[in-house]
Amino acid sequence: MSQSEMDRLVQMINQIAINNISAGDENAVAEMIAGHVQKFWSRRMKQMLGEYTEQGGEELHPAAKLAAEKLLSQAA
Amino acid sequence: MLQHFDPNKDYGTPASLSEKLVTLEIDGVEISVPEGTSVMRAAALADINIPKLCATDNLESFGSCRICAVQIEGRRGTPASCTTPAEAGMKVTTQNEKLAKLRRNIMELYISDHPLDCLTCPANGDCELQDMAGAVGLREVRYGFDGENHLDAPKDTSNPYFTFDASKCIVCSRCVRACSEVQGTFALTIDGRGFDSKVAAGQNEDFLDSECVSCGACVQACPTATLMENSVIEMGQPEHSVVTTCAYCGVGCSFKAEMKGDQVVRMVPYKGGEANHGHSCVKGRFAFGYATHKDRIRAPMIRDSIDQPWKEVSWEEAIGFAARRLKEIQAEHGRESIGGITSSRCTNEETYLVQKLIRAGFGNNNTDTCARVCHSPTGYGLKQTLGESAGTQTFDSVMQSDCVLVIGANPTDAHPVFGSLMRRRLREGASLIVADPRHIDLLDTPHLNDSMHLPLRPGTNVALVNALAHVVVTEGLEDKEFIASRCEGDAYSKWRDFISDERHSPEHMEAVTGVAAADIRQAARTYATAGNAAIYYGLGVTEHSQGSTMVMGIANLALATGNIGREGVGVNPLRGQNNVQGSCDMGSFPHELPGYQHVADPVARGRFEAVWGVEIDHEPGLRIPNMFDAAIAGQFRAMYVQGEDIAQSDPNTQHVEQALRALDCLIVQDIFLNETAKFAHVLLPGSTFLEKNGTFTNAERRINRVRKVMPPIAGKEDWEVTVELSNALGYPMNYSHPSEIMDEIASLTPSFKNVSYEKLEQEGSLQWPCNDEHPVGSPIMHVENFPIGDGKAHFAITEFVATTERSSRRYPLLLTTGRILSQYNVGAQTRRTDNQAWHDEDILEVHPHDAEERGIKDGDWLGISSRAGHTVLRALVSERMQPGVVYTTFHHPHSGANVITTDNSDWATNCPEYKVTAVQVEKVTQPSEWQKNFHDNHERQQSFLKEAAAAAAEAQ
Ligand code: SF4
Ligand code: SF4
Ligand code: SF4
Ligand code: FES
Repeated sequence: MSQSEMDRLVQMINQIAINNISAGDENAVAEMIAGHVQKFWSRRMKQMLGEYTEQGGEELHPAAKLAAEKLLSQAA
Repeated sequence: MLQHFDPNKDYGTPASLSEKLVTLEIDGVEISVPEGTSVMRAAALADINIPKLCATDNLESFGSCRICAVQIEGRRGTPASCTTPAEAGMKVTTQNEKLAKLRRNIMELYISDHPLDCLTCPANGDCELQDMAGAVGLREVRYGFDGENHLDAPKDTSNPYFTFDASKCIVCSRCVRACSEVQGTFALTIDGRGFDSKVAAGQNEDFLDSECVSCGACVQACPTATLMENSVIEMGQPEHSVVTTCAYCGVGCSFKAEMKGDQVVRMVPYKGGEANHGHSCVKGRFAFGYATHKDRIRAPMIRDSIDQPWKEVSWEEAIGFAARRLKEIQAEHGRESIGGITSSRCTNEETYLVQKLIRAGFGNNNTDTCARVCHSPTGYGLKQTLGESAGTQTFDSVMQSDCVLVIGANPTDAHPVFGSLMRRRLREGASLIVADPRHIDLLDTPHLNDSMHLPLRPGTNVALVNALAHVVVTEGLEDKEFIASRCEGDAYSKWRDFISDERHSPEHMEAVTGVAAADIRQAARTYATAGNAAIYYGLGVTEHSQGSTMVMGIANLALATGNIGREGVGVNPLRGQNNVQGSCDMGSFPHELPGYQHVADPVARGRFEAVWGVEIDHEPGLRIPNMFDAAIAGQFRAMYVQGEDIAQSDPNTQHVEQALRALDCLIVQDIFLNETAKFAHVLLPGSTFLEKNGTFTNAERRINRVRKVMPPIAGKEDWEVTVELSNALGYPMNYSHPSEIMDEIASLTPSFKNVSYEKLEQEGSLQWPCNDEHPVGSPIMHVENFPIGDGKAHFAITEFVATTERSSRRYPLLLTTGRILSQYNVGAQTRRTDNQAWHDEDILEVHPHDAEERGIKDGDWLGISSRAGHTVLRALVSERMQPGVVYTTFHHPHSGANVITTDNSDWATNCPEYKVTAVQVEKVTQPSEWQKNFHDNHERQQSFLKEAAAAAAEAQ
C-alpha cells in the first residue's frame, strides 16, 4: 500500500459522504456510503479501507467511518 | 434495407408528414399521396420522373428553373411541378410536344452559358445538367458562346476539400438553400441580379475565410461540377459504394463510402441514415484521409523496455510475447495485477471481446473505458433516477420541442449534424436556454426566436439546477399528475422537502452561480410551461466533481415538469465519441457486465459463466484512476489498451506518465504511435472503421452497422487481434465474423435480445431496448414505465457541494476546457487531415479584463500554472467567457492541457473534473519544462519507430 493510494481512497469516501449528507440521518447516510463502496470499489480497495479503519481511520468523515465499520462487520 | 422510400433516389421535394391522403392522376397513373406533397414528388413516387434542376428532396422547392413544367387539366399555362401541391382529382400531363419544346428551350439557355467540356469535367457521369440535357433531348445550342458569358469566372480553391468553379454555375441556388435550410449557417448568398447574379460566400470572401464550416451540404446539393470534392477532381468518379457509419462523434451519421476498388473517393452522407437523414459535418464528410496516412502502424512491434528501439515482428511473435509477459506477471504478482481498457472508438463487438478477455481470460474485472473520463456520471445518474443508463429520445424528437435547454454542451461544434437539426427547430420558433460559462455559437443561430444565456461560473451546475427546480416547486409549476402516476412517492416527498428549502432559491444561489436570480426564475418558467421541453447536456455537466449529482438534478427537473416519456421532451446526454454509448452498454466498466448487469448479481453472472465457461469474479475491478494509483504503488503491473490514448486524454498527465512508466508490460493496440504507445512494450496495429465490420451505438441508442470497405492495413481487424491474444493466453475464443459476437451479446444482454446483423440489414438500424416487448427497438424510452424498482422514477437528493478546486490568490482564474468543430478529441485522426487548415494549435481564450490586467495581447505566449503542473499556450483575447474564466481545447498533445488539469473527480464515478481548474496565467518567452521533455521524448520515440522500420527493410 502506498500513502498516496490510501490518501486517494480516504478522499474518495469522504467525498461520497459529503455529497450524500442530506440523504437522511447519520445512519442512513452511512448506509448509502457503504452501499456505494460495496457496489463500486474493488476487493483490494475495500481491504485497504478496512485496514485503515481498524487502525483508527483518523481522516475519515464521521459518516464515512460509520460506513467503513458497517462494511467491516458485514465482511466478518 | 426496408425503407418506405428509396434513399438513393431524389424525389425532388421533401416528404409531407400529413396523414390525409389525396388521389390524383399523373400521365394516366392513379396515385395517392399525403396532402401537401408536390406534383413532382407524387410523380416520382409513381416512378414518373419529371426533369428538374433547382429542386432536390432535402430542400424546400424554389421554382426557379422552370424545367419541371407540367400541364394540369383545367389550369392555364405550364406550372412548375415542384412548387405545385398535388390535389385530389388533379389530372397531370408530364410529357407532350409542348412541354418538350419548352424544356429544350430552357436547357438551351443554360447550356449556352456553360462550358462544353463534359468529357474532361470531374462531374462527368454524375451531373444533373448533363442528365437533363439528355432527358429533354437537347441537340443544338443556337446562341453560341460569343456574347457575354461566365466561362472564365475564377475558381475558388481555398477550401482544402472542395473547389468552387464559378464558370459552371447555373445559379439554381441549391447550395444557398442547403447552407441555410440544412446546415443553418447561412454562409452563401446569391449576389447581384439577372445575368450578374452569382453565388457568394460570406461577404464576397473565399470559402475558407467565410463563415462556411465545410459541412459539404452545398457540394452535395450542387447539380453541376461547380461545387466539387477535390478527391473526385483528382481521382474521378467512384464505381461502387458501401453504406457505413461515421467513426467520429456520437451522432453516428450514416455515409455511403464511395469507392474506386479499395480506395475511398468520397464519403457522401446517406439519406437513409436515421441519425443524419443525409447531412454531415466536416469531420465525417471529409476528414477520412488519416486512414491511409503514412504514420499508420503497419506491423506489430515489441521491445523489452521503453528506452529501447522497437523491433518489427510477425503477428505471431508479438501476440506470443504479449501473452507470455501477461502470464509471467500474473504468476509473480497475482491474478489482479493486470487489466485492460476498452475503446469508445472501436465497435461494440470489439469492446465486448476486450472486456470478455479481461473477465474470462485474465480472470479479474480490471476493465474500464475512456467513457470513465467523459460520460460515466450519465450512466450512474440516469440509472439511479430513470433506471436506464441512456438518453431518452431520438435526435428527431427535437423537432417536436417547444423549449430546448442546453447545459454544458456545444452541439454546433461537438455534435454538428444534430446542432444543425436543433438550429432548424430554433428557427421554427422553439425557445432556447443555454446554461454554460461560455457564449456558445448556438446562441448566435441566425433567425433565432426567444433565447437566454445563463453564464454560470464553472463548478456551480448543481447550484443552478437546484435553483431551477426550486422555482418549479415553489411557484407551483410541477406536473402533479405525472408525478403521482409515474414517480415513486416517498423519494418524491423527500426531494420536495429538500428542494423547497430557501437555501436553493435563485436569490440565495445568485452569489454562487453568478447568474441573476430573475434570469433563473424566467428560465425555470419557460422550461416548465413550454409544453414540450427537452434537456440536452454534454461534458460540461459530467466532467465535474459533482457530475453525477448534476445528471440526477437534470433528471429531477425533467420528472418534476413531466417532460419524459414522449416526443419532444426528455433527458439527452450528447455523447462525445462515436461509441461511448456502446462501450458502456458492452460491459466495459469494472462493476458491470454487458447490459449494465452488476457483477455481484448471481443470476446475471451465472448466465455469463455458463456461456463463457469460466467463473467470473463477483467483486468489481479497478477504475482507470485506481489502476494508475495501484501501478505507482507497484500492485498493478500490466495493461492491454485498445484504441485509447490515456496518456493524452486523462487528467494530470505527469501522474499518468509516472503510472505508465511503472508498468512491466503495456500492450497498446492503435492505428498510430499515440502518446500512450510511447510507454508501451508491445504495439499492435489497429484498424480504422473503414477496415472492419461491426456496429457502433450512437447517443440515441441507435445501433448502426459499420461495414468494411478496404482490407486492414496490417492484415487484421481489431477484434481478430483480441481473439488471438485470448487464444495465446489459453482462453479459447472462436469467431469467424463479428455477427457471431453480436449473437453472443444478444443472448446474454436482455436489452439486446432481438438484435442481429440480419435484423440490422432489414431495418437499417435498431434502437435498444430491442427485445420481445420492443421487437424493432425503442425510439423513445420510458413511455409507460421506468425500468427501476416498481416501474416508477426516483427523485434523487442533490446537495450542492462546492468543488475544492477554487480560485485563490495563487491561482486566481478558473480554466475550463472544450472542443472545436474541425478537430476531434485528442486529435490523432483529424490532425492527420486537412482539417488542420482550421485549427492547428490549441489556444487560451482570456477575457479582455483579465488580459489587460496582465498586459496580454492576442498571440502572446502564456504560461498557465495549476497545482498539478505548468504549460504554455498562445493567447486569444475573447469575450466569450466571463471575467475570471479562461478556456482552451485539448486537441494537440504538445499543448499539455492535461498537464494542468488536476486529479479531482466526480464523487460517484471518478470522472475527472476537466471543466474546472484554478490557474494563474502570465506572459512567458519559452515552452514549459514538460513541453521540452515532451518534445525530447517524442523525438526519441519516433526515432525508435524509424529504426524498427529500417531494420525490417534491411532484413527483407
Ligand atoms: S460547406 Fe456547408 S457551411 Fe460551407 S457553404 Fe457549403 S453548406 Fe454552407
Ligand atoms: S454552385 Fe451549384 S448549387 Fe450553387 S447555384 Fe451554382 S449550380 Fe446551383
Ligand atoms: S456529426 Fe458526428 S457522426 Fe456526423 S459526420 Fe460529423 S463527426 Fe461524423
Ligand atoms: S425543378 Fe421545379 S422549377 Fe426547378
